[in-house]
Amino acid sequence: MVRAAALRERGDATPDPLLTLVETIEDLSSARTIDQVAAVIRSAARRISGADGVAFVLRDEGKCFYLDEDAIGPLWKGRRFDMSECISGWCMLNAQTVVIRDIYQDPRIPHDAYRPTFVKSLVMTPVRPRDPVAAIGAYWASERQPTEDEIAKLQIMARATATALDSAVMYASLSETLERRKFLLRELDHRCKNTLAAVQSIADQTLRHAQSPRHFAEAFNGRLGALSKAHELLTREEWGRAPLGDVLAQTLAAFGGVDGERIKAGGPPIRLAPETSVAMHMAFHELAVNAAKYGALSRDTGRLEVAWVVEADDGRPTLVLTWTERGGPPVTAEPQRGFGSRLIEQGIARDLNGAAVIDFDPQGVVFRLRAPLSDRMSRA
Amino acid sequence: MSHPRVILVEDEPLVALMMEDLLTDLGCEIAASFGSLSPALAWLAAQVRLPDGAVLDVNLGGGETVFPLAQALRARGVPFVFATGYGVLPSEGFDEAPLILKPVDPGKLIPVIRAFGAAA
Repeated sequence: MVRAAALRERGDATPDPLLTLVETIEDLSSARTIDQVAAVIRSAARRISGADGVAFVLRDEGKCFYLDEDAIGPLWKGRRFDMSECISGWCMLNAQTVVIRDIYQDPRIPHDAYRPTFVKSLVMTPVRPRDPVAAIGAYWASERQPTEDEIAKLQIMARATATALDSAVMYASLSETLERRKFLLRELDHRCKNTLAAVQSIADQTLRHAQSPRHFAEAFNGRLGALSKAHELLTREEWGRAPLGDVLAQTLAAFGGVDGERIKAGGPPIRLAPETSVAMHMAFHELAVNAAKYGALSRDTGRLEVAWVVEADDGRPTLVLTWTERGGPPVTAEPQRGFGSRLIEQGIARDLNGAAVIDFDPQGVVFRLRAPLSDRMSRA
Repeated sequence: MSHPRVILVEDEPLVALMMEDLLTDLGCEIAASFGSLSPALAWLAAQVRLPDGAVLDVNLGGGETVFPLAQALRARGVPFVFATGYGVLPSEGFDEAPLILKPVDPGKLIPVIRAFGAAA
């Protein structure tokens, strides 16, 4: 295949400009990034147009950004101008090719910016005329009228550039999607294993305190259900931070739900980190199971109120949450410390760097959590 | 028989409870247990008597990793093992560090604890 560049290197006569134009269009079609598009234009636009200089200008957040250039003297590479104060801006705003024979006679030209340069005449053509995203400028050091042919070739190159820029944007978003997919699969694997580790812990803890296989099955299934609900909530929040109120509402749904009558729950908006949210879900589940078996939720007369506030503790915002059961059968003895009390009094307290205490008051169980706000638990 | 004093760093409270039980079952004394990096670093800096070993979860949530603590432990000659759900460690410099995978096979902990005991 004949390549124009090879002909030039061999010192042959100037290759057919049409051949150069076709090759440039081919090169543009295989460009994958905006910088590659700019590089193709820099290397070819001068040859195709026969100009003394070319510049590739991007429309970038309301500015004209002179991304790249190839010229006999410096132009404006790397600089940004307001759309209203430069001819590439006029060209993009009006979606029209501009042809100027003598720039110093044209009021649209900011003459001060041109005085240090060689430029006397120019053609500026928009890229993607329907909604210009860039412009290609061709500049001459002498005052002359660019030919129809020169203008046509620049416009053809601008059309190929428009397609190339669209492809570059599409390619970038495709690569990003693929990267994101890889990342998500890896995260999924990690979270699956963490969840399995949580299930392993629940099984181990339940087994340690179970009096019989039947007790094991009952407690284990309940806990697995709570873990599953905790994950459901996390998925709904896209593994972001789950609201404390939602964690409570979802845990208590299986026990009659927060109805503002028998079960009340309320406080300022607080959000929990994913791991903390799972642990709190499990902790509230344990308290609720206990309340349904022996406490306030075992009788129609029983009431449960969960209330939380944020207080300043030594100037540090601190969450104070109280779970209060009333109206149930008298709490006679402190039950055996099991999975629930350990999870709450050790696990939650340690996770939140605070204090968590379950008080088996004869009038009803009271659970108190006091912990500083942190990245694990913050104001919504 | 020695009872190695071990520290645990694990950000998932549920998993931490089990790890504490497993380590206790295997004859360890839990010297301290942490859910995040900074209290663990502060604790280590304040110790006159160093622990005999450490079991470290790699990812501590919110983008935090346990590696700064692993470096501090290495500098003090305290042996440690990583416990992670990742098949490979996402960090260079710890390629040779022992690794146990989550969910944890308690049998895999036995040689680790024995090594801690030998250091004790």
